[in-house]
Amino acid sequence: MNADYPKLRVAFALARRELRGGLRGFRIFLACLALGVAAIASVQSVSSSILQGLRDDGQVILGGDISLRQLYLELNEDQLAYIDRSTEIYTHFTEMRTMARQEGGEKSTLIELKGVDERYPLFGRMELEQGVELSGALGKQGGIWGAVVEPPILERLGVKPGARIRIGDIDYEIRGIIKREPDRVGGGGRFGLGPRAMVSLDSLDDTGLLRTGSLVYHHYRLKLLPGKDIDDYQADLKTAFPAANWRVRDFRNASPTVERMVDRLTLFLTLVGLTALLVGGVGVSNAVKAYLDTKLGTIAMLKCVGAPNRTVFQIYMLQILVLAGAGIGVGLVLGAMVPPLAALLLKEMLPFNLSLTAHPGPLLLSALFGLLVTIVFSVWPLARVHQVPAAALFRDTVSHSAVWPRPVYVVMTVISAILLAVLAIGTADNLRFAVWFVAGAAITMLIFRLAAWAILRATALLRRPRHPGLRLALANLQRPGASTANVVLSLGLGLTVLVAIISIEGNMSRQVRESIPEQAPAFFFIDIQSEQISSFEHAMEGIDGVEGFEKVPYFRGRIVSIKGLPPEEALLDPQYEWMIRGDRGLSYAAQKPENTTLVEGEWWADDYAGPPLISIHRDVNKGFGVGVGDSITLNVLGRDIKARIANIRELDWTSMQINFAIMFSPEPLRNAPHTYIATIGSTAPGEEKVQRELTRRFPNITVIRIKDALDRVNDILGKIGTAVRSIASVTLIAGTLVLAGAIAAGHRRRVYDSVVLKVLGATRRDILQAFLLEYGLLGLLTAAIAALIGSLTAWAVVTRVMEASWTFVPSAVIATVVLCTAITLGLGFLGTWRALGQKAAPLLRNE
Amino acid sequence: MTASAGYPQQDNIVELGGVHVTLASSAGPVQILRGIDLQIETGETVSVVGPSGAGKSTMMMIMAGLERPSSGSVRVAGYELTRMDEDALALFRRDHVGIVFQAFHLIPTMTALENVAIPLEFAGRKDAFDRARDELVAVGLGHRLTHYPSQLSGGEQQRVALARALAPQPALLLADEPTGNLDGETGGQIIELMFELSTLRKATLVLITHDMKLAGRCRRNIQVSDGLVIDRASEQYPGAGSPG
Repeated sequence: MNADYPKLRVAFALARRELRGGLRGFRIFLACLALGVAAIASVQSVSSSILQGLRDDGQVILGGDISLRQLYLELNEDQLAYIDRSTEIYTHFTEMRTMARQEGGEKSTLIELKGVDERYPLFGRMELEQGVELSGALGKQGGIWGAVVEPPILERLGVKPGARIRIGDIDYEIRGIIKREPDRVGGGGRFGLGPRAMVSLDSLDDTGLLRTGSLVYHHYRLKLLPGKDIDDYQADLKTAFPAANWRVRDFRNASPTVERMVDRLTLFLTLVGLTALLVGGVGVSNAVKAYLDTKLGTIAMLKCVGAPNRTVFQIYMLQILVLAGAGIGVGLVLGAMVPPLAALLLKEMLPFNLSLTAHPGPLLLSALFGLLVTIVFSVWPLARVHQVPAAALFRDTVSHSAVWPRPVYVVMTVISAILLAVLAIGTADNLRFAVWFVAGAAITMLIFRLAAWAILRATALLRRPRHPGLRLALANLQRPGASTANVVLSLGLGLTVLVAIISIEGNMSRQVRESIPEQAPAFFFIDIQSEQISSFEHAMEGIDGVEGFEKVPYFRGRIVSIKGLPPEEALLDPQYEWMIRGDRGLSYAAQKPENTTLVEGEWWADDYAGPPLISIHRDVNKGFGVGVGDSITLNVLGRDIKARIANIRELDWTSMQINFAIMFSPEPLRNAPHTYIATIGSTAPGEEKVQRELTRRFPNITVIRIKDALDRVNDILGKIGTAVRSIASVTLIAGTLVLAGAIAAGHRRRVYDSVVLKVLGATRRDILQAFLLEYGLLGLLTAAIAALIGSLTAWAVVTRVMEASWTFVPSAVIATVVLCTAITLGLGFLGTWRALGQKAAPLLRNE
Repeated sequence: MTASAGYPQQDNIVELGGVHVTLASSAGPVQILRGIDLQIETGETVSVVGPSGAGKSTMMMIMAGLERPSSGSVRVAGYELTRMDEDALALFRRDHVGIVFQAFHLIPTMTALENVAIPLEFAGRKDAFDRARDELVAVGLGHRLTHYPSQLSGGEQQRVALARALAPQPALLLADEPTGNLDGETGGQIIELMFELSTLRKATLVLITHDMKLAGRCRRNIQVSDGLVIDRASEQYPGAGSPG
């Protein structure tokens, strides 16, 4: 036998010729791939644009080459002298949270106050409305200091530029409105609860706000001498001041908070995009199957004239890959077009420019996802070429029964699926989350396959109902070659994602909006000076509608070592890294606070005055593996305090009661300078009065209205929710496309059925009813399964990952059922309507 | 591989021995062929006649290696087909068998030239397109090379199919009612061409037909009935053995 096997080249040539048949039947295939790839590509590209923008503008965003941040204290003379000597220039500014009041009026608002020196900013430009320059706006004019503010301050205080507002003990004249603050995100990296007001650093001494223990962050931004290496400089700093308490950052990582948030959101949205692509994969699989059905004659012919199975497989695989390339290409183009649009939309939200250069990495990643999904979902149906006998040219012997493909194709599919999983996990920065996603997606797909099988079995086993329409509907669901299984899988998967996301979101907003305010206090007060606390408490008693006053000592400190190890080395679980990131709020207490349960150890005696003891929350125990008897060293106000763990506590963070991860025994901190924080409950009409009275009498105390803070949180959650929902809806669109494809593929069958039924005397209404029953049943069953799996997923995320309490969100389920049934019925109706329009005679003559 | 160079020279190009074909159906097994013994000499022209469902096409598929017998031996061009796997059978067909179908079975996305070139391309022939062009010229379609099947008449399509079947110079040409979809005149032209070319190429021709007049043009006539062969080799039709 001549072993001259046809070369791949022949397969190429034949594939190319076959493609002349056009894209007929591949529109859904292309749309599914383009949509999924576009979703991933846009998420990845926008994310890269933001991160690259952060890096490109690093110096502007950070405000310098190097940033030093220190809580409470300014740098000492030695440190300042060193910096002055070793840099080209530096700037000093402070950040704190405080109140601004209407001059002579009753309105007040929480603000983020920034006091800057005359050198600010070193990089970038402070943009003020109407071309006002910062340099001239902050100085003392006619005995009055100037301030520039963000517009919400004007709105909340009901004032206009030129008016005076009171901050602390003095008045400021509003001389400008902030349009763009170059280093807003690179600043303290703190969660901005209030709008910004910027004043001169020199003016702060007059405000009375810079008291011992007040939460003031001192920032220094350094511009290095030309040619000085960033790492070398940081090393020099460390050598010169090994015990310094500052936090050092450089412009290469200007805003770790934003980067972290972008990374997380990117991962989440990429995985949701990947789900859309997986759903689209079902559409790919359907399209390949339908295409092969039209090619059975050609395949048999090719085999007849001597094409081995492998070559025939290659011919069709190549065609699929070329078409996939086109779909992926369209997806990439769409994805690449998103960053410029996002730049416009995010312009107001992000105070830096997105990098709009092309990002080949994210696009390549999206293309790889698209390619692997294509292979995973097309090899299996393509393997059917083996089952098409050349004898099919003489006799219709192709069966619809599912036969397992040859092992080589099973292996090919499994390897591609594994590669897909590896790619999803390998490119994720949160390994655990990605692994859970991949496992969850695989299990969900398996469950839907099983559910589809169960539906088919159940409909086959059901006794045929008398109603002819229902009988036909049930029979159609499980007839040979029916697309029931694929529709259940694809539409179901899309809906599951939607139910899960709506449920998780519903649970989060419910937690924030409903359950918390019932028990939560109305106000938080910070920066209450030790000497003010009794008069503050007294003032509180005089206000009607105020109840439940609670106060605790408050200071901030940083974990320096855990069991003698640097905290980074002691960290066991990265999810608890937040505890060692910067300063933590700390407190001390003689008695065990209410609502606290000890899981291990004992609370110290009321009059304990021995070496420092601490009580830790269980998270500290989980994150660092420390237990009772171990020691933790904290730096508080520049002093290292080594404390032994006396007990481990369990507490409910969502109660909104004042709580701390680490609490000290009273000694020795009782005598260190510190402030108090307090909470009160208040009736709604009392709230206005509390804010008015207290800001007037205690200008240095910051009043945070819980409702305002929650509104702000909700606002942010809402924005994230919109992004998540829009990507999730892509999944649903993909599912709908698959359904539309399945309905289109079944068009000939429906035309035939309706013609036969018409011949037998069925009216158009009868036929329409039968088909709509079929789609209605399909939609309802799919929605029911999706609602169940989606709710279970959401339950697992809410209770296990977020460790919050679970509330069933009926609206998510109802919305899903309605949406799914509407989609299936709507598309089914369109398809059936077209089929009903066909005349019987031509079809019967051809038959 | 050509008829003269590649395969073992045999007196009989086809030898079927005790061939049974039983197919499964929902109503139970159906016996299509029930023990066929048949020898066809190299260079012979053989017609196969019989009622619909008698097993003519199945017998032809057995000869082409398109169908496997349930039992019995199938030796074609010196190869025992029952021992070959599917891919080996495909290569065997490529080198030794040409088939002409009633329904033409051209690939709609390919031009006439490309359709004819396919088996030569599979055989790795560098001159595939030159040869295909020659074949099309030989069937009188030199002016239709770049036409797609949908742009050709039924007769022209069958000429392309004939050119495709003959292009690899097969030793065995199988034709399953090649004129069944054509009008009388066109069908006649195709038959003339087929006899002429198969004689010229020294290919053995096995022709399934319902047309007794056409059957009569073959040197030998085989009747298949109810899965069995009734060989009428001895019954010489007037003019048999001298096609054309």
